[in-house]
Amino acid sequence: MQINPNITPTILSDMNQSQSALNTALQQVATGLSVNVPSDNPTASAAMVQNTIDTGNVDQYQQNVNTVLSTVQSASSVLSNVVTALTRAVSLGTEGANGTNSAANMQAIAAQVQGVFSSVVSLANSSVGGTFLFGGNGTTAPYTADSSASTGYTYTGTNDVSSVAVGNSLSVQVNLPGSQVFSSSSNNVLGSLNALVTALQGGNSSAISTATAAVNSSIGFVSQQQAFYGNAENQLNSQETSLQQDTVTLASQATNLVGINLATAATNLTQAETENSAAMAAVAKVMPNTLLNYLSPPA
Amino acid sequence: MGGLNTSLSIGMQALDAAQGALDVTSHNIANANTPGYSEEVVQLSANSMTMSRGQVSGGGVTLDGLQGTQNQLINLQIQQQTSLQSSTNTQSASLQQMQTFFTTTGTDVASALTALSSSLVALSASPGSSVTQQSVLASGQNLAQAFNTTANGLTSAQSTADGLVTESVAQINTLTQQIGALNGQVARLTASGQSGGAVEDQLNQSVQQLSQLTGISITQSSDGETITTGSGTPLVMGDQSFSLQTTTGSDGFQQVLDFNGKDITNSIQGGQLGGAIQVRDTTVPGLLSQLNTLASQFANSFNAVQAGGIDSNGNPGQNVFTIPINLADAASGISVAITNPALIAVSSVGSPNSNGNVASLSAVLTTALPSGQTAAMAYASLVFDVGSQAANASTQSTAIGENLLQLTNQLGATSGVNINDETANLIRFQTAYEAGARIVSTIQQLYADTMNMMT
Repeated sequence: MQINPNITPTILSDMNQSQSALNTALQQVATGLSVNVPSDNPTASAAMVQNTIDTGNVDQYQQNVNTVLSTVQSASSVLSNVVTALTRAVSLGTEGANGTNSAANMQAIAAQVQGVFSSVVSLANSSVGGTFLFGGNGTTAPYTADSSASTGYTYTGTNDVSSVAVGNSLSVQVNLPGSQVFSSSSNNVLGSLNALVTALQGGNSSAISTATAAVNSSIGFVSQQQAFYGNAENQLNSQETSLQQDTVTLASQATNLVGINLATAATNLTQAETENSAAMAAVAKVMPNTLLNYLSPPA
Repeated sequence: MGGLNTSLSIGMQALDAAQGALDVTSHNIANANTPGYSEEVVQLSANSMTMSRGQVSGGGVTLDGLQGTQNQLINLQIQQQTSLQSSTNTQSASLQQMQTFFTTTGTDVASALTALSSSLVALSASPGSSVTQQSVLASGQNLAQAFNTTANGLTSAQSTADGLVTESVAQINTLTQQIGALNGQVARLTASGQSGGAVEDQLNQSVQQLSQLTGISITQSSDGETITTGSGTPLVMGDQSFSLQTTTGSDGFQQVLDFNGKDITNSIQGGQLGGAIQVRDTTVPGLLSQLNTLASQFANSFNAVQAGGIDSNGNPGQNVFTIPINLADAASGISVAITNPALIAVSSVGSPNSNGNVASLSAVLTTALPSGQTAAMAYASLVFDVGSQAANASTQSTAIGENLLQLTNQLGATSGVNINDETANLIRFQTAYEAGARIVSTIQQLYADTMNMMT
């Protein structure tokens, strides 16, 4: 068999191969990635485009859930305070209707209910981070006490509801406008309080009883609305769990696509180093070998 | 004395032959590392001997000449593979350069789409905040810049390839002139019955360099080699060479013309020139057109949704993106039209804190564009395209490299200088020379003895 006496091309090719394997292994260890440019794995690189976008979105969805959750929890606790205030108004109304109160007492009770009315108006104007909880999309405080109005107040908020994106094609309604939380065709929370104040000021026991009954029914109505926030909170909590799951899934998908196990990378590097040294050692041994080495110089 | 004279002249011939063989061996050793050199083998033949009336006459050895060891078949295969490899390498280098623009760096299109998408999700939670609005606007600007950068990266690879076309044509012309001259020399040597030898080696070397520049086809004729491009445009015929020319085409790129001025750009394949033309006229335009379609369709869809909403000032949404009218400039020329974040149409009803249009803006990223793919899918297929082309070019180059190595080894085995062989030859011819010298001294002794007989 004839052989090529010039071994340089073969040697260079072998050394280049082993050098390039070494470079690859080194880069994988340094970056922790098996795919550093699209040509390393075109399919994985393409899949990573969606993965990156999804990961970014899930991060932001989680932030949205947290923001919205605090709004919903605030609204829910405000409504609890409203119920407490209304309960206080009912007991004051009941006291006022028992027919044993002096005129001065009646005025004092009326003043206390008036105080409850003011605090409920103030609760209804609660805001978180500059956004009014019960103002729809309005940018000013939605409720103003207004003695000239028949209901004793005016609503300047809007009737809009907001839905916030908390997942791919999932958005959660995060508010109810005040016009819906505090009034309906059969109930009017602020109106009933105002009517109780008027009845107490008038001193007519039966009118006071009627007005107290209306406030009592408002309690039930507000509690119903509070259930909306409870549901939203549950939904957000379960979405948060699911988003955490998504984060884990996306991260492991990314690792599968372009990541590299550190142990594997380290093993690859060691192997590449060994191969490279072996190739160099072999070259060093073979290169200077010719027949001349074994011939004694002519005497 | 006739017999002794014959022996003496045979001895002299032996010395001459051994001397010639030593010269050739030394020449081989001296050129062991000369690129393209093929081993020369000394041709010896025995002279006839005649015998008449008990007397031997004639005989001895003649140094006939040198025989080259070129292997035209392997040379031809090496030239073809070299053209192929050089073309693939040129494409591979370009694609390696281009694919960096599709790598996740934070300023690439995928990163920009990600940032825009999450800034819109954030806008959903705080539609009235000027901070989140500003972040959407900034993400839009980054996306436009990412499109610009990627498109510029592609066009820059295209202009590099265009420069390579001019450069390759100039190199081809220099080489074809050299080859023409060498061809003439070889033809003259062959005509006078001599071996082309070193000139032929030089010719082969030049032809191989030419094959690195473009795909060629070679036919042998009485005038020497006829070299044409793969598609038949003559480059060298005998000692004549035909220059290629370049001229600026309607697309602003250099077109290659043959010696008659006919445009042969599209028929050139192989070699650095073929690779550069492939990158410039096929690879880059293919990728650019995908990128332009994506940029234009995404921007138009986003603008349409924006127009359907109401901005924070209560006005119908204006265009967020400005797209050049010409689709070919879409990615390189896309820009953001607004500077005021309040102009982002967050609302569908017009009340300031409403986020009714944000979901629709987000949906531009998740629903199919007119191309039938979402923006992410369209970009992902672009990434796949660049990546697989780069990977293929590099795999192909490695495969051809293996093939070439094999061929080079074959060529080396038939025509390379083996130092071990030459060393052995050196000893063989040294011994032969010594033996020849011994013949002469023996005959001299015999002459002396014969002279002494007379005294």
